[in-house]
This record gives sequence, structure tokens and C-alpha cells, in this order.
Amino acid sequence: MEKTILIVDDSESIREVVSFTLESEGFKVLVGVDGKDALKFLDGSNIDLIITDLHMPVMNGIELIREVRKMDDYSRIPILFLTTESQTAKKMEAKEAGATGWIIKPFVPAKLIAAINKVMR
Amino acid sequence: MTSMENFQSKFIEEAADNINDLENALLLLEDNPEDAEIIERVFRAMHSLKGGGAMFGFAMLSDFTHHMENIYDQVREGNLKVTRDLLNITLDSVDLMKKLLDKDHIGTEDTVREYNSLISSMESILKIHAGNQDQAMRESINPAISKKEQKGLSTYYIHFIPGLDIMKNGTNPLYLIDELCSQGESLVISRIQNVPGLEEFDIEKCYTGWDMFLSTAGDINAVSDVFMFVEDECTLDIHKLSDSDLFEEESFIKKTEEYRSDDSEIVINDLMEFIGQLNKERLGKQLNTAKRKATNGKDNAITSIRVSSEKIDQLMNLVSEMVITQASLSLYTENTQNLDLQPIAESVQKLTRQLRDNAFSISLIPLESMMTRFQRLVRDLSDGLDKEIKFTAIGTETELDKTIIESLSDPLMHIFRNSVDHGIELPDLREERGKKRQGEIILKAFYSGANVIIKVTDDGAGIDPQNIRQKAIDKGIITSESILNHKELLNLLFIPGFSTAKAVTDVSGRGVGMDVVKRKISSIHGEVDIDSVAGEGTDITIKLPLTLSIIDGLLVRIAKSQYVIPLSMVDKIFAVEHTKLANAYNNLVELDGEQIPFYYLREEFEEEGEAPETEEVVVVKFEGVRVGLAIDSVVGEYQAVLKPLGKFYKNQETISGATILGDGSIALVLDTNKIINHFSNHNKIKEEIK
Repeated sequence: MEKTILIVDDSESIREVVSFTLESEGFKVLVGVDGKDALKFLDGSNIDLIITDLHMPVMNGIELIREVRKMDDYSRIPILFLTTESQTAKKMEAKEAGATGWIIKPFVPAKLIAAINKVMR
Repeated sequence: MTSMENFQSKFIEEAADNINDLENALLLLEDNPEDAEIIERVFRAMHSLKGGGAMFGFAMLSDFTHHMENIYDQVREGNLKVTRDLLNITLDSVDLMKKLLDKDHIGTEDTVREYNSLISSMESILKIHAGNQDQAMRESINPAISKKEQKGLSTYYIHFIPGLDIMKNGTNPLYLIDELCSQGESLVISRIQNVPGLEEFDIEKCYTGWDMFLSTAGDINAVSDVFMFVEDECTLDIHKLSDSDLFEEESFIKKTEEYRSDDSEIVINDLMEFIGQLNKERLGKQLNTAKRKATNGKDNAITSIRVSSEKIDQLMNLVSEMVITQASLSLYTENTQNLDLQPIAESVQKLTRQLRDNAFSISLIPLESMMTRFQRLVRDLSDGLDKEIKFTAIGTETELDKTIIESLSDPLMHIFRNSVDHGIELPDLREERGKKRQGEIILKAFYSGANVIIKVTDDGAGIDPQNIRQKAIDKGIITSESILNHKELLNLLFIPGFSTAKAVTDVSGRGVGMDVVKRKISSIHGEVDIDSVAGEGTDITIKLPLTLSIIDGLLVRIAKSQYVIPLSMVDKIFAVEHTKLANAYNNLVELDGEQIPFYYLREEFEEEGEAPETEEVVVVKFEGVRVGLAIDSVVGEYQAVLKPLGKFYKNQETISGATILGDGSIALVLDTNKIINHFSNHNKIKEEIK
């Protein structure tokens, strides 16, 4: 079955490269520009995975993760966040908020797919 | 010859070997497309061709091989499958490579055309493949272990007990186990002793833990990376057990089985101790094999040198002369009763014998040297005819004289052509007849006394004796009244001009039949026999002498002349009174209670003078029956060095050569089969004249 992935990032280039990679892998991709924007997709419709940036102007990644985990429909779906190697503290914070895993920027398509494979089949 | 030319000719020899080896390996690859060792062989051969080609001025060969290497690079990486198409192109390429070595072909228009067309075929394979590669990458992206890296395997033990709440943030531990297993060979033992009873069971909690053994080419980081998202939420222990694939060790498998059946925890210290012991044993074994290999390698380095066959021929000639000279020496010593000379003559005799045997073994080469050709022939022919045929060669290490092998190639080719073309049926027909779709042709070679037997068997349609009979009648070879048994009917196939194929195909050709096979085999003193059961298959048996230049013979005397009868033909020798032979009715003599036809050679050879009172009859085998040859007396066994007769005698049939005796006189070597044939025809004609 076609899997749906929600991508949340304020950077247009990141959104584009991620959605291009995922679409060419056969995923259905939804795009949110920030946390708040992303919430509109979380209306009970089917989403298999969320990939979110942490730093966003309106509702950052940590807040989004916390919000998602509160929703009955999405409390157990895998959530990956985009981060850089140096942000260990942020990583811990995101994990505590309920994230499943992370993707370190910059990444090549293979790394992105590898991370997705860890949390979703 | 300049030194460059010298190098070149050496390279050409080597390259021919390499191409042969390449062809051979490719044919093997067809049946074992994933065998890494064979692929390595393909590479080795190509590598030498490419490197040497560039160095010695065969740029086209080098460049061409480079293209082929690109293709097989992809095969080695596991990205490209060895298909029939691929093999066809590479085998065609091998043919072209042979031409690229040949001065007569290099640079000709045909060669260049072939070259370009093959290069573009290869490029198109690579292009199609490049398209597939994206997909292949997608599939294998995560484990990220290409086959190439799978050389140095290590074995890890992973103890993984996820935290109770691990599933709360969307983690599925089973995905992690899956991912781990995809990195190599693994054994997973689940630990379920913490799973509570139903009352306390919370479906959102993870109670299970896992013990895993994994052999992988990845390093410990690759293993721990699997757990990177969860390492803070679980108990995780990763231990490298060994720098080898422990799944290859029986005792290790046993140990893991114990762990699996036993619910107790794995104590890492115990495990490590066990592995330590195991590694020690294995290391000892490896050291031993390494030592053995090292010594073998040393031996191998000097066991073979390349000598031109001309030099071997010269050596053989000299040895032959030596044998004759030694015989004179022995004779002289015996006649003069010189006691001082006797021990010398004896040791010369001993040394000559050893020298002769040694020199002979040099000119013997294994049948294997021509098997590639046959394998290829069968493959190409069956492809062209849409037949499925498996070719097996057994006993190809059997050795034969070089000259025999050379003359054997054509008749064997013909036999294989017959089997493929007329013998083995089309797959559908075979199935209808209750046979396997794939037909089989087996070549079996073995020693039998001083002979080598080569047997070619197929499980094809066989030969229907009634077809032969009809055809023989049509051709006027026999009359419709003739009564012939199965064997006699089959033997009709050897009569010149007889061919049972109804339609002429480009495989078996026209006009060349089994008679040619028989003639060729006879010319190297061999015999050929055919046996066939209609519907079941055909057996063709070729019997050959080990060597042509020296034969073990029986020296006999008729009047003042001496003759040699090949010992391999001789069955028995009887002393018979002259009167019995002279008064024999119908040229039959009773020996051993059996009526045996005989030829009175004294008369046939038109020798004059009185016959001795007691004569001897040498009974020889002739086409399955026993025939006597009456002579004056047997002198003894004799090692005859066969010398050809001069060109004036080239057209006679009954004498296969001459040999020089110890006293310098000459004895003719009789070809008994031909003598009997000759006399029987001769006598028939005489009778008809009467």
C-alpha cells in the first residue's frame, strides 16, 4: 500500500529535495511549511510517518511532536526530525518529546531512506 | 627474430592459453552463474590479456578486453546477472579475441566490423543495466553492503532488551531486528521470560528481548547504528566474537542451538571463552593449510615449462634411434659372448627403456586439452537447433600421444555433431517420449591395457536398424534377401557414402558420414564401434593405442623375411603341422575346438622354398572374430620403433611401417586388419575369376 509521509520544514529547498527523493521512491508526500501548517493534515486522515525540522518560526518541531503524541490517531506513528550533528541536547529534547529518530543534515538520499527504513516498512 | 618479436610470440602463446581458459571458465559459468571463484578466473584471464595486449602491441585486443572487463565488473559486483544473452555475446567476444591475436585477421575489414558490433552490444548491455541500477540501489540502500565488501566477515553477539515503553514514540523493535538480519547471516533468539500474565499485560508495552548472532561484513559501528534511535531506551550489548564467519563452524552452530533451547541467560564471559577456544583451533588448521599451500606453491613454480612440439618430435626421433642402436649393442654382445661388454650392454638397455618411457610421457597430453572445443561445439549447435543438451566429460585426464589427439579432434567433432543433430531430440519430443527435456551427451575416457577407450554416449533417439536396412537396400549395398543381425546392420553405417540423415542440415553436412570417422580412426591405428538402441540412445566406442611411434610387437619369420605383428592384436599362438594347413578345407583350421579361418602368409606373400614341417598360426582379433595368420615361426616379442615406408609405398595398405632390427636388417610391421581385408577381397576376386 502506498505510504503517506508528512514533511514539515520552513526551508523551501529542504522541502523540495526531501519530497523529490521520497516521491521518486514511491511515497505519497504531504508538505507543511511549519508546525502550525502541518497540523491541518492531522485531521484523522492516514499518515504513516512525519519528518519535521526542529527550527521553525511558527510552532517548532519539538512543539509539533508533543502535539502529535497527544492525538489519539497519531500517538504511535513514527516521527523523524531533521537536525545537525552538533545538536545533542536538542536531540535529547526531541526524543523526550516523543520522536522516534532523527536524520542528520546534510544528508544524501540514501541516508534519508535508511532512516525511514528503520522506523517504517 | 628480434627480441620484441620473441616477446610477442611468447605473449601470443600465453594469450591463446588465457583465451582458452577464459572460454572454459565462461562455459562453466553458464551452469554456475554465481560461483565467485569462476568469476575470478574470468577476471584473471581478462586481466592478463588486457595488460599484455597493451604491452606487446595488441591494442585492439587490450581495448576490447577492457570493454569485457567492464561488463564482468558488474557481474562481480552482483549488479548484472549472467544470462544466456550475456554469455553468447562474451563467447562471440572470445572468438573475436582469438582473431585479434592472429596477424592474418588483425585490422581486416571483417574483424573491425565484428569488433565494432560486439563493442556496441556490450555497451548496450551496460546501458540497460545502468537503468536498472537505480532500482537495485533503492533495494539495497539500507544494509549498504555490496557483495564486494562481503569478504572479511566478522561475527557479533548482540543482546538487545528494549525499554518497556519503547513503542510509545513510534519505534517498532521488530524493524530493528529485521534491519540487523539484513546485514548478513544471523540467528535470533527471543527472550520472553519477562512477558507477564494476561491480567498485567499492557499491549502498549514491549516485554520481549532478543539475543542475536550476526556475521556481517560491516564493522561494529554499522551494527550499533541499527540501534541509534533507541540506544537510550534499551539495554544493549554488542560484542565482536570473531573476525570470521562463525556460522561456518559446526561447534558454534551447536552452541547457539544450546542457547536457543536453554532459557537461561547468555553469560558473555562464558561465550567469549568458548569462542576463544574455537578461534585457536581454527587458526591452527588455517596455519596448516597455509603451510601446505606454500609448499605446494613452491613445487608448482617449477613443474612446468613450455617446449615447442618440434623439439619434442626431435627428442622422440633420437630416442627411437637410441632404441635401435641399443638393440644392436645387445645383439653384438650376445653374439660375441664378451663378458666385459655384457654388464654395460645391460645397463644401456635399462637406461634406454627408462629414457624411452620418459620421452613418451612428455609427448602425452591429456584429452582435457580439447574438451573446451567440444563443450563449445555442443553448446553452439544445440543453441542453433533449439535443443537442450548437457555435455559431460569424464576421465579427461586420460593422456594420449599428441599426434593421436590431433587426429582425434575431427572424428570426435563429427560424432558430437551427429549426436546433437540426429541423436538428441527436440525438448518437446523428448518429453512426449517420457525423457528429460534436457538431453545428455557423455564422453568417457579410460585406459584399458595399452589402449585408451573413448566412449561417447547420448540418450537421444538412437538408430533404428530397419532404417539402415532399408537405406542399404535402396543404395544397393545389400539385397532385400540379405540376413543381417543388429550389429551387422549398425556396421553398415561405416560403409562409405552411407548417411541416415534424411535432410541435409548445416550441422552434419552432406556426404561425410561415419565412414570418414572410421577411416580417420583407423589411420591412427584405432578402432571404432557403434552400438545403439532405437529410442534410447547411441554409444560410440573408440579404441586407440597410447602411442604411434613405438609398438609392442611379435616378431615372426616367414622364409627369410621377418615381420612384426602388433602384440595388441594377438590373441593366441598355436603350433600346427604343415600337412594340416596344406590340406585344410576352405582355409579353416580347428584350433581349441573352434573352426578358425586362416590365411597362409607364405603363399600370400609369394615366398619361395619349402615350408617347415611345423608351422605356427598367430590368431588375431578381426572385427570381433578370430582369424589365423599362418607363419613359419615366432621369433619373440619385440619393441618396434615404427619408421614410415618411403613414398613409393605410400599407397599400399597392408604394411603400416618398417622397423630396424638389432642386426640392422629390416622387418615390416603388418597391419593385420588391413591384411585380412585385403586378402579376403583378393580371394573373392580370384574365386570369381575361376
